[in-house]
Amino acid sequence: MKPATATITLLLLVLLVPSAALPSGTVCLQCHGAQTGSLGEPVTLWKGSVHEANSVSCHGCHGGDPTDVAMAMSPERGFIGVPKESDIPDFCGRCHVGVREDYLESAHGRALGSGGPTCVTCHGSHRVVTATIELINRRDCTRCHEYGRAEEIKSALAATDGSIATLERTLADLRRIGVTTKETDGELFDLRNRFHRLFHSVDVDKVRAGTAAFRQELDRIKGRVDAIQLELNHRKLWGGAVVVLLLLGAVLALLIYRSYRRER
Amino acid sequence: MELKKRILDFLDLRLGVRDLLARNLTEYLLPRNINVWYTLGAVLLTLFAIQFITGILLLVYYDPNTEHAFASVQRIVNEVPFGWLVRNLHAVGANFIVLALLLHMLSVLFMNSYKSPRELTWVAGFLILLLSLGMCLTGYLLPWSQLSFWATTVATKSPDEIPLIGDAVVRFLRGGAQVGQPTLGRFFALHVMGFPFVFGLLVAFHLFCVRRTGISRPPFGPGYEPPEPPRTFHHEEHPGGIPFFPHYVAKDIAVIFLFLALLASVIFFVPGLFFPPAAFEPADPFVTPQRIKPEWYFLWAYQTLRIFPNEFLGLAVQGAAVTFLLLLPFIDRSRERRPSRRPVFVTCFFLGLMAFIGLSIWGHFS
Repeated sequence: MKPATATITLLLLVLLVPSAALPSGTVCLQCHGAQTGSLGEPVTLWKGSVHEANSVSCHGCHGGDPTDVAMAMSPERGFIGVPKESDIPDFCGRCHVGVREDYLESAHGRALGSGGPTCVTCHGSHRVVTATIELINRRDCTRCHEYGRAEEIKSALAATDGSIATLERTLADLRRIGVTTKETDGELFDLRNRFHRLFHSVDVDKVRAGTAAFRQELDRIKGRVDAIQLELNHRKLWGGAVVVLLLLGAVLALLIYRSYRRER
Repeated sequence: MELKKRILDFLDLRLGVRDLLARNLTEYLLPRNINVWYTLGAVLLTLFAIQFITGILLLVYYDPNTEHAFASVQRIVNEVPFGWLVRNLHAVGANFIVLALLLHMLSVLFMNSYKSPRELTWVAGFLILLLSLGMCLTGYLLPWSQLSFWATTVATKSPDEIPLIGDAVVRFLRGGAQVGQPTLGRFFALHVMGFPFVFGLLVAFHLFCVRRTGISRPPFGPGYEPPEPPRTFHHEEHPGGIPFFPHYVAKDIAVIFLFLALLASVIFFVPGLFFPPAAFEPADPFVTPQRIKPEWYFLWAYQTLRIFPNEFLGLAVQGAAVTFLLLLPFIDRSRERRPSRRPVFVTCFFLGLMAFIGLSIWGHFS
């Protein structure tokens, strides 16, 4: 290779930068994503769901082979398709094991098959939303029954759920600056999931009794997070002093320079 | 004082240091109308020194192995005393270096200081800029985060578009078909040894050129006339100018402190400014992050590649632009250096600057 060619090649290599190259997705997304109407709607709904955010794609629930167009919907490859209404708790419960148990023991679960709600009644299908306390609301609950009991449960859960959400945001902020929170994340995630199981019991007394125990656990986690934040605040204090000293140094050096210039 | 004098006497007898110091400090005169842009060289030397020292400290705990790299960086940041400070100084400092290099280059360009007899100074400086970008690129992979892995995957894939040799170049860069341990190994070697070695030589040559040719006079003020192109070697003197030491060094220190204050502000108050969330997740070849964007100083090139229908065409345009800038002193041969007498050049300068900023903003939001 001539020196000039080599130089240009090197320059090109140095400046080679990303050009968005995300994988085009599974065959399910490719095919259904290109369709309109009810066949394309699941893909539209799924985008923006908590499942999409956690990389749970079509085949995660419906089975099949996401890499092979011909076998994508083959029962041989485990394709399930759309479950019957009475099968929905088992369909979702393959992953959400604890929630399924609590649901089946609750008034909601006992009414399964006789007009009672399934998972998708509250959480939606395809556009599955993150389980938050906001799912308990007058508009949705009164589709089936009075809101009073649901409101009682919501108020019993609200403070603890709010604390969990605040801690999650704090931990996310800490992660954003490189603080390792993996262990605490895991503990909080576990606590949150166990706490959210209480939602599905739809039993006010059980919710009140369970919440107190969760608060104690939550306080322990919060104590650890507070200690990290205190350390970070100390850093900022020292950092502020360093910045002020450097700026003072800059001003002083500039004044010295000006005095030299005046001398000449 | 007696001890200081004795040490100086000892060194002076053997090395003639008094004469050396006088000629390079107190008797080394700079142009009277020298401006603040000339301090960027000293700022850069300070930032380079910080990179060098923090880089060595990071090497004590860093493990260049795909199994342990991410954990070792996490350990440095979270467990090693002041590790967070060392790591942030290194990573954030790299961004400040690119910023200072760009400002330095732009000021030299605007003042036309690259012209004869300073062509070699410009070429060495421009290569330092390119090598710095190369060090940024190789350093990016070392934490073995999601950002590292995917940014490198996409960056090393681009040469694939080069006809005939594309695939071979990709494999050469990666050490295999995919980004993996061989890639980390070669990027690590380049980042901590190969590039710094060449970088050190280039900086030394650049400084030698600056000192040997003499500082160029800013092309401003009523008394300025562009000098005749030299026919033989000539060191540009500035009789009646400002002594480098202690006069101009005081100004150098003021601007260095200002840059360090800015660097410290980012490190202590907005440490996540240059780190997207993917920078804190371990590399996972099976999960592609949603939005992979290069660092701010590569955004212009990233957007250029997206504008052109063919990636190779985009690469060729970038290569042509970079080559043009590298060879500018040999292309622009006019004697005139005053921006006020060069309207076409000044227009091109600002259009180029606006294109750089505009493409970067576009790339950020695209």
